Amino acid sequence: MANQPPGYPGNPQPRPLMADLPQHARERIERTRGAQGQRFFTSDLSVNEFLLVREIGFEPAGLVMGSSIFHVGYQRGSWSENQELTVLTQAMYQARELAMARMEEEVEALGADGVIGVRLKVNRHAFGEHMVEFLAIGTAIVARENGRAFRMPNGKAFSSDLSGQDFWTLLHSGYRPVSMVMGNCVYHVAHQSLGGWFKTVGQNVEMVNFTQALYDARELAMERLQYEAQMDGAIGVVGTEITESSHGWESHIIEFFAVGTSVLPLQGAPALPKPELVLTVNE
Amino acid sequence: MSFTSDLTIDEVLLVEEAGFEPVELVMGSSYFHLGFETAGWSQSQEIAALSAVMHGARQQAMRGLYEQTVEARADGVVGVRLEVEREEHHAEFTVIGTAVRRRDGRGAAWQDARGWPFTCDLSGEDFWSLVRGGYRPTSLVMGVCVYHVAHRSLGAWLSQMNANVEHVPFTQGLYDARELATERMQYEAQQSGGSGVVGVEVHEGHHGWDSHVIEFLAIGTAVAPITDAAHETHRPPKVVMRLNDR
Repeated sequence: MANQPPGYPGNPQPRPLMADLPQHARERIERTRGAQGQRFFTSDLSVNEFLLVREIGFEPAGLVMGSSIFHVGYQRGSWSENQELTVLTQAMYQARELAMARMEEEVEALGADGVIGVRLKVNRHAFGEHMVEFLAIGTAIVARENGRAFRMPNGKAFSSDLSGQDFWTLLHSGYRPVSMVMGNCVYHVAHQSLGGWFKTVGQNVEMVNFTQALYDARELAMERLQYEAQMDGAIGVVGTEITESSHGWESHIIEFFAVGTSVLPLQGAPALPKPELVLTVNE
Repeated sequence: MSFTSDLTIDEVLLVEEAGFEPVELVMGSSYFHLGFETAGWSQSQEIAALSAVMHGARQQAMRGLYEQTVEARADGVVGVRLEVEREEHHAEFTVIGTAVRRRDGRGAAWQDARGWPFTCDLSGEDFWSLVRGGYRPTSLVMGVCVYHVAHRSLGAWLSQMNANVEHVPFTQGLYDARELATERMQYEAQQSGGSGVVGVEVHEGHHGWDSHVIEFLAIGTAVAPITDAAHETHRPPKVVMRLNDR
């Protein structure tokens, strides 16, 4: 598991964790690796992504996934205060981190150099009310030659949420993906006091209180994402997306979740072909 | 020669450019009873019997599609779609797609390793790209695992109501079930002579069962390299930057 960025308050308590990949994960990966030279792959790449990945010197190695089912409890926020709910922030972060770590374990078991098209899903199952499943799923790929050059500075396989098309374009523009980075923040937005409500009712004014809260929470999530990227030795992050969700908590509790792919310059990148004019007849 | 198909105009054009012609719309279906008893189950485990039923139902629908394809003297089917329509404890599984035939009459080389016509869930566009990229589809492949999540362990669990912790048995169970479905799909792909699978999707479904029973379905198209030396490929693919804004 990656080290936790600073700014995540408190120490995580020791928790019972699944020790290893489940039996059928190991079995499937062994079968995918197959005998020498007899690789078999599964992938959730579309046909176009599959061809582009091959064109740029990689082969798909296998579909990889990781999951963690978390009991996400409740943390009470003070009614009239803007504050981060640190216990929830940590739970949501750790659950995703676990799913990602297991997926990366599958990547290493496959002997792949990296994984692309990673999607992080949050599933809610009807069988448990506060039970949330975090699922990471993507396609591991292996370079036909010199795979080492594409690994992370610490020698681990790279990870990214780029599609096959984006991966192709990124390499052509002289960069390579390093790691999929994320940051989150669960925030409690203060309820307005009655006096405050009277002051602003019927007026068009900025709700400074709310602005500040949401601004702050978003910045915290971004800062943590940035720190992860720096820890991985990257020089930048592409395709960052910030999403917000209440995950079924009360409406004043919001999670901001930032995710993106950190990148490093690539030596000897293939040049982008000259743009050509093509008129499409598709509507 | 006249044909029926659910392909768009672009798709017809591309299928023809790839050396095929559409023949007719083919389909298969099966009707199954999905009821079962889980009362008193205290274990998280696969319900193997139900996995077999759910897989068998889709296989039977696929068999109908294969029969119609052979009857139409087509070499394969593109754009196969799988649908499940449920009514109470009964469900109808339908597969539907457009049968295509090679124009040069050498369709036999496109059969899968079992001697069946090829099937795939690719659109006409994807089919063209795949073929021009040097690969052929062998078979639409799937794997199923129906999993039961224990009730009792949940009760014990609720005592920790406010804790934020991972639930190890559930994690292990559902993770394993998903892997099992994918592994079965992979096995089917190897049986069909494929060297890989593209476009894998792992679906979850309940089909009206109790909420503790979940079906995982892994589905994708198995592919194999085209070995025919005379086959025309576009390698490397040509890159086009779209100037259209979206």
